Amino acid sequence: MTLLDFARGPGFQIALVILLVGIVWRILGAVAIRFSKDLTKPRGGKQSIRGGLKAILTYSAPPHELEKNIKFQHYTGYAWHIGLFVVIFLFGPHVFFFENILGFGWPHLPNAVIMVTGIVTMGILVTLLIRRMIHPVLKVLNNADDYIAWTVTFLPLLTGTLAFYHLGARYETLLALHILSIELLMIYIPFSKLMHMFMVWPSRFRTGSDFSRRGVEA
Amino acid sequence: MLGNMPEKQTLGEILEQQGVSRRGFMKFCATITSMMALPPSMVSAVAQSLENAKRPSVIWLPFQECTGCTESFTRSHSPTIEGLIFNSISLDYHHTLQAAAGHAAEDAKHQAMEANKGEYLLLVDGSIPVGNPGYSCIAGMSNEDQLMEAAEGAAAIVSIGTCAAFGGIPKAKPNPTGAVAVRDLIKDKPIINVSGCPPIPMVITGVLTHFLTFGSLPELDHEGRPVAFFGQTIHDRCYRRTFYDRGLFAESFDDEGAKKGWCLYKLGCKAPTTYNACATVKWNQGTSFPIESGHPCLGCSEPDFWDKGGFYEPLSATAFGPTSALLAAGAAGAALGAASAYAARRKQKKAQESQT
Amino acid sequence: MSGIRDIGVRVETPLPEDHSFGNVRPILHEVLHALERLADTGEPTTIDLRALPFGPGEEERLEEALGTGEVAIRMEALGESRIVECAFPGVWLITHYNSHEEIMARLIEIAEVPAIIRAESRDMRAGAASLRRRLEESGREHESTDAATPQPHNTTHETG
Repeated sequence: MTLLDFARGPGFQIALVILLVGIVWRILGAVAIRFSKDLTKPRGGKQSIRGGLKAILTYSAPPHELEKNIKFQHYTGYAWHIGLFVVIFLFGPHVFFFENILGFGWPHLPNAVIMVTGIVTMGILVTLLIRRMIHPVLKVLNNADDYIAWTVTFLPLLTGTLAFYHLGARYETLLALHILSIELLMIYIPFSKLMHMFMVWPSRFRTGSDFSRRGVEA
Repeated sequence: MLGNMPEKQTLGEILEQQGVSRRGFMKFCATITSMMALPPSMVSAVAQSLENAKRPSVIWLPFQECTGCTESFTRSHSPTIEGLIFNSISLDYHHTLQAAAGHAAEDAKHQAMEANKGEYLLLVDGSIPVGNPGYSCIAGMSNEDQLMEAAEGAAAIVSIGTCAAFGGIPKAKPNPTGAVAVRDLIKDKPIINVSGCPPIPMVITGVLTHFLTFGSLPELDHEGRPVAFFGQTIHDRCYRRTFYDRGLFAESFDDEGAKKGWCLYKLGCKAPTTYNACATVKWNQGTSFPIESGHPCLGCSEPDFWDKGGFYEPLSATAFGPTSALLAAGAAGAALGAASAYAARRKQKKAQESQT
Repeated sequence: MSGIRDIGVRVETPLPEDHSFGNVRPILHEVLHALERLADTGEPTTIDLRALPFGPGEEERLEEALGTGEVAIRMEALGESRIVECAFPGVWLITHYNSHEEIMARLIEIAEVPAIIRAESRDMRAGAASLRRRLEESGREHESTDAATPQPHNTTHETG
């Protein structure tokens, strides 16, 4: 079995199992935590779904009092996330991959656009890594999770670009490395800060829902 | 066919005897230089080598094959140019092509092998069934025995076609005959793999001509295929590449995109991972090749191409296993996750109960 | 037996006239550089058209772009070869056919005269020997007839 056959076959299946086990375990674990029932009566609004949903939207932008402090982080953060999604979901061969699994596809962008987006995204990621390493506050806060998460996010972009341009090794090897790097990412997600991609939604919802309750908490 | 020309004459002498003029010879050299994918500036070097080359003895053993490779090779012949190549080699044995058969023919083969021991070129097409030798025999002798016997005195072996080079269609799951490639059995001789199902006729001729002209084997890639013809993927030389880059794909056969000649990636084209010369040399004297005729590349010059997922599944979707397997993996993941969450919750309940 | 070319084909959605697969212009540039090199230094160049990934109809468009000049040569050696000077003197389009009218090789040669047209000294010497033999034989014939009827020689020729 070649490296590519492994990456596409058993490698992907194992990674998918681990990813799904991890996601369900962590989400259910967080959501199904038992809370003792609050017996006090709220004086104003109560916990509401509306409040929760509103929070998901409003927390997407930083509070305007802090905006000017974190402008750089805010915009570059969004920029590279959007770039990543464009590359993952709007590249032709990726769309066909999803279509094969889901049964439906969607329109895609020309390859040149995707390649430019990918390279810009990688540039932003490198910039943010450097920032993280020299910023006086971040320097102290960084832990292994931060660096590993950056690496497993960066590698698929890098290997994908190399594979597309046939740089550095045979195409089949580069493609296998690209798929393996994604499998590495899949395995790492449930056990790291990358879970924020799933946690952020119930988390914001819970916060917003709680905050819409006016009253004493007991 | 059973070489009646004296083999110690040089090729130049043979051609002169056949009444080939200087211009004819230079035309021949220009053609075969092109066939060997060498730059035109090498024509005079080729001419010089060819003039002084000796006629090599060639033995062709057909094994578990469909005869497509022999057909491909002989299809390229006409009484003039390639016919000269055919006559330039001394094809001392070709079981399918020759009229003779039986013990006398087999004896003639053995004589040729003895007379040219260590120097003859062994050509093989078809895979070798090792599951049961009875699946494919010639004159009562199994393919495997024939191969081992003939390989012993050969200077080099050319595996013609994907079956001989990599196992081909007989090797596809579940491989009922136990088919293997030449390189799985022979470990101590240089092997050139001329893969393809069948290989492009000119590629076969080009490889033989290289041996004829230079007396050596051409440069080979990681699968033992001549780099001159298998050095690039079809994708990298495809005239429809601009459509791939612009993201213009045909969605189904004969739809608008297909009629406009758009890229066939979505219809299952394996060109990005297939190394062959189809996009430049093409088929039928440069008439066309599968993609130009509207059909995605099957990847027929690659090992195990029959088992690489569907011919009509896009490359990025193939070989991840059937969707059912992925869904099963997903379901297993979800179930395990739910079970562990439930266990955690119970543990928490226990802890709470023990507190109160 | 009718050939592939006799099968009727109708193209349903032909590509627009100006659609390019990207081969014609680069080849023309290569020809230009080679031609200038030839004019400056006398160095000839040959371009093998075999190795290029032409799209459908592109080879024809290249031929159109090259055009035809004043010279067209038909050579018969191991099948026909057609050598045509293009609209640019010094640029020759060579097509080698086998005896079944199948194209064996296609080249663009940028040279004063295509190398294959030149008579080789070996061929010339062989031809001269053959001509000499012919003259000697016909000379001997004439001598035997001359003995009966003396004829004035009205052609100058070299003896010996």
